[in-house]
Amino acid sequence: MYKLLLSWRYLRTRFIALASVVSVTLGVATLIVVNSVMDGFITEMHARLHGILSDVEIAAPGLGVIYHPEFHVNEVKQILGDEVEEITTVVRVPALMHFRVNGFPMTHQVLLIGIDDESFGKVTDFHPYLMNEHNRKKLTFELQTSGYDESLGFCGWEYRRLVAESNGHYLPPVDLPTDPNLGSIEPSLAKHDMKKRSVSNGRLPYLPKSIPDLEQINETNNLAMGPPDMRDPFDHHFSGPALEDIFDPRRDQYTGIVLGMAISSRKYKDPETNENVESFLIRVGDDVAITLPTAGADPTAVRENCTVVDFYSSRMHEYDSTFAFMPLSRLQKLRGMIVPESGMRSISALQIKMKPGANLDRARDKLLARFPPFETGYAIQTWQDTQRPLLSAVNLELTILNILLFLIIAVAGFGILATFYMIVVEKTKDIGILKSLGAPSRGVMSIFLSYGLSLGAVGTGAGIIIGLLFVQYINHIAGLLGYLSGREIFDPTIYYFDRIPTIVSIWMVIGVACGAMLIAVLASVLPALRAARMHPVRALRYE
Amino acid sequence: MQNAISKPNETHSIHANGKQALRIKCPMLLNAVDLHKSYYKGKIEIPVLRGVNLALPESSLISIIGQSGSGKSTLLHLLGTLDAPDRGEIWFEDQRIDNAARRYRDKLRNQKIGMIFQFYHLLPELTTLENVLVPRMIERSAWSYLFNRSKYVERAKALLEMVGLGHRMQHRPNQLSGGEMQRTAIARALISQPKLLLADEPTGNLDRQNGDEVMKTLTRLNREEGITVVIVTHDESIAQRADQIVRLAEGKVVEISKAA
Repeated sequence: MYKLLLSWRYLRTRFIALASVVSVTLGVATLIVVNSVMDGFITEMHARLHGILSDVEIAAPGLGVIYHPEFHVNEVKQILGDEVEEITTVVRVPALMHFRVNGFPMTHQVLLIGIDDESFGKVTDFHPYLMNEHNRKKLTFELQTSGYDESLGFCGWEYRRLVAESNGHYLPPVDLPTDPNLGSIEPSLAKHDMKKRSVSNGRLPYLPKSIPDLEQINETNNLAMGPPDMRDPFDHHFSGPALEDIFDPRRDQYTGIVLGMAISSRKYKDPETNENVESFLIRVGDDVAITLPTAGADPTAVRENCTVVDFYSSRMHEYDSTFAFMPLSRLQKLRGMIVPESGMRSISALQIKMKPGANLDRARDKLLARFPPFETGYAIQTWQDTQRPLLSAVNLELTILNILLFLIIAVAGFGILATFYMIVVEKTKDIGILKSLGAPSRGVMSIFLSYGLSLGAVGTGAGIIIGLLFVQYINHIAGLLGYLSGREIFDPTIYYFDRIPTIVSIWMVIGVACGAMLIAVLASVLPALRAARMHPVRALRYE
Repeated sequence: MQNAISKPNETHSIHANGKQALRIKCPMLLNAVDLHKSYYKGKIEIPVLRGVNLALPESSLISIIGQSGSGKSTLLHLLGTLDAPDRGEIWFEDQRIDNAARRYRDKLRNQKIGMIFQFYHLLPELTTLENVLVPRMIERSAWSYLFNRSKYVERAKALLEMVGLGHRMQHRPNQLSGGEMQRTAIARALISQPKLLLADEPTGNLDRQNGDEVMKTLTRLNREEGITVVIVTHDESIAQRADQIVRLAEGKVVEISKAA
């Protein structure tokens, strides 16, 4: 009883000891904050990395191809059995994308991915990252009239029509008001294979069916400067192609393409309002041209006009700034990956989604055994293999941070040790008194141990509270710090996170608390031992 | 000199020879036989006790007097098992205690031997009442103490009333006078109802009036409750109030006499 009473009294009367636990408090709070933020980042990152990548992938090396995809799919299903949930095939090819910004031509390199929407959406978290709510359910690669995220601003069919009209694509004035379909062109009817739809039975005196490329379209903005083979639009006797065969950007689209958000959008801070503004180089509804190499031993460049039908925003900058998706079959056709005689198609990679809880490494090893790399040249990887450098770098960072922060608490431990030693020296006479009254050495020791424990508990408790509050209000604090320092602490334009992600793991908190308590107790062991070993007579005589 | 301590003195119940004393019918509470104790200053041995024999009968009031450095405080520490002799034996209630297990000695100090010091030695963080209760807290586990707390507090309050500190129970030692602190220390020594009370210069730090109070209390405890009291002092007038006076010089008992 005296142990509890005395350690409580010492706690209440020795405030200097409390100062020594401030470092414990700070260490615990920092550990909790850092771990929560890192955990948040890592979890978010894993979710995104994993979501975008499939569980396991069999990829042809470089720009190579995998023939007989059906054979491979069957083979994989046989090898992995019930663990396979879904398999999708993709074609991946680096490509150049041309577009115009304020009339200036620009080229951007992209990784063009041909996907089969249905199975691709099942293998990866593709749909949630699309910016159109209809596309999130099913991606048709067709421009939509509605459902686009508000952040995209003016876009879709309405935007496309307006741009086309402002560029001089207009129907003859007599036809326009009487056409019942014009105001409500059904985008689902627009085909990406460029099949045209007639608006009216009249003939439109411009734009032949075959449009060489996008630049020509853009250059035909001004009819007077149209292509050389174009006739005078006001010559009503011109007998050109039928109206339905003429590509009209107001109602027709090219091959649908989904672009990574970061390819087209630029985030910047408005100097006047001090708000983050997103500006778009390309909007949904704009046309772009893609140049890509054909498959095979002797690649040549082919060119394809595309209409941007949606954006893809996974908020992983690496992906958002390079990915562009188009229909698999179209890309196979463009690259000459379909054997004309047999109709057999080839692919770049097989992506496999496993059932939850399946061992990915084991699945990969099985596949490696079936398709040995030295024979096939295939790269067979789990999503973690693919992102190993990043994942291990982040893990290393977390480990080092934890070690450093625990060193802080260890330093705090030495502070406690020194303070406790002083207190034991100061309390030498009390120790003598207690021993003369029959207190066993163990009892004396436990006074100081429980004193250390309670100091550790106070420090740790305060640290947990401060740490959790900090995590709770971390975005406010970052904002406040940014306001005070005049520099933004967490810049969403860099991270593509709107706010700092945090995850508080109860086990992490418990672990940190136990570690801190252990250090506090260990630091009080030495002084407590000294107290216990003190000779009662010498302790009583101590001045 | 050696003769003086070896004189057997049946009637006065103080025996030079502990082994003999054991055989004597008059019950001896404590026997010390040929105690030797040295301290070391570096490598130099400083002998403090050089063969002290002492026998304390039950319910006696004895004073040990001597110059400073004569070893009287050391003797008291040995009797109270705070320290162990280099040579010799100490018997308490027919049990050898000088080489007993530490736990046994702790228990002895806690329950059978009360100690009072010149500098009171109260715990500054605790109130008067809590200081008195400390031996009970040490004796009992936390649960058993809490269970019996009201009983102990009652006794502690009665003891404090007895030493005239009924109005000072919630004060801290630094709010008490020297006399009050010493009386608190006496109450603390009595809480476990000890058989032996060892007082090391209990009046050494007090003025005459307060010293008288303390002495009166100690005498009364001896007379009324039958507690054996040993008072170590260098003050002749204090020593004279005991039944027996043991004179110590240079680590030896030089004279045992009845008080005048």
